Amino acid sequence: MISCTEFIPAYSELFKFLEEKQDKSAVVDFWKYLSDLFLTNLKNEVMEHGLRGCWNYWSKTLKEEAADFTMDLDEEKGEFSITMHHCPSKGRLLELTHMEAYRDYCEHCDLLYRRVLEPLGFQYDLDRSRTDRARCRLTVRPEPGSNRNETYRNKA
Amino acid sequence: MARLHTEQKAKESTYFHQDFHIALNYGIEYVRQRFGPESVKEYLAQFAAAYYTPLKKALKDTGLTAIKAHYEKIYHTEHAQFQMQLLPAELHILLHASPAVAHIKAGGHKVSPLYHETVSTVNREICRDTPYDCELTKYNPENGGYQLRYYKRSL
Repeated sequence: MISCTEFIPAYSELFKFLEEKQDKSAVVDFWKYLSDLFLTNLKNEVMEHGLRGCWNYWSKTLKEEAADFTMDLDEEKGEFSITMHHCPSKGRLLELTHMEAYRDYCEHCDLLYRRVLEPLGFQYDLDRSRTDRARCRLTVRPEPGSNRNETYRNKA
Repeated sequence: MARLHTEQKAKESTYFHQDFHIALNYGIEYVRQRFGPESVKEYLAQFAAAYYTPLKKALKDTGLTAIKAHYEKIYHTEHAQFQMQLLPAELHILLHASPAVAHIKAGGHKVSPLYHETVSTVNREICRDTPYDCELTKYNPENGGYQLRYYKRSL
């Protein structure tokens, strides 16, 4: 049995396998496939609660992943953000001395969540400039000019 | 209109995100559907060869106690019910039900028909180039429970 605590190396190795088997497009297609089938809980939260849904979703997942982060929600301003001080997934991969992380590992976070949030009327921005140190910053805002209380309902 | 703020340190939580079982299941299904069943085995063998290098070394150095210690830790982490019997040249592992399969099903997701390869292929790969081998003697696709037998190869 592969424990959920061993998943991240299995995930990273899957990206390498898919790229070797075909090319990067197989990896990207997998991320799309996973986003559509796996992130239904994020989609449902955001459809029901808007930006607050992001807060609800990541409050649970980041606690279970034992992440080191700061998270903010400002509903008046219309902004949700996560400042990841130490990503538990990338951090684990960097700590493994006997295997190497997939080159574009952190790209999955950009595609998976963007694919859920943008069709619901939100802008998704992920600063990956410091992922070599397991750090990143994620920001979600309603599309300019949209009614942030109605956006997600209209797009659902 | 709320303003919410939180800060969390890694040490404040326990690393245990069961939804990763669902993601792995979809990874296996994607490979199966796109590249076929043999590719699932190929992927899991590649993962096991890369990730379990320290465990393979421990198996060579200290024998089956290394495997026993590994799975005791994994099963305790996953809150699984299990039994193990360590004999002079064999290790019998009984997992009554897989917490991974239970979690995948509880979320309404379909378990891959090749999910058992996470046991059989992975453990065979752990044994590769060691004096040991293993076989999955029973597998219950309903709950993911299994019996696994590690044994010393005949010379």
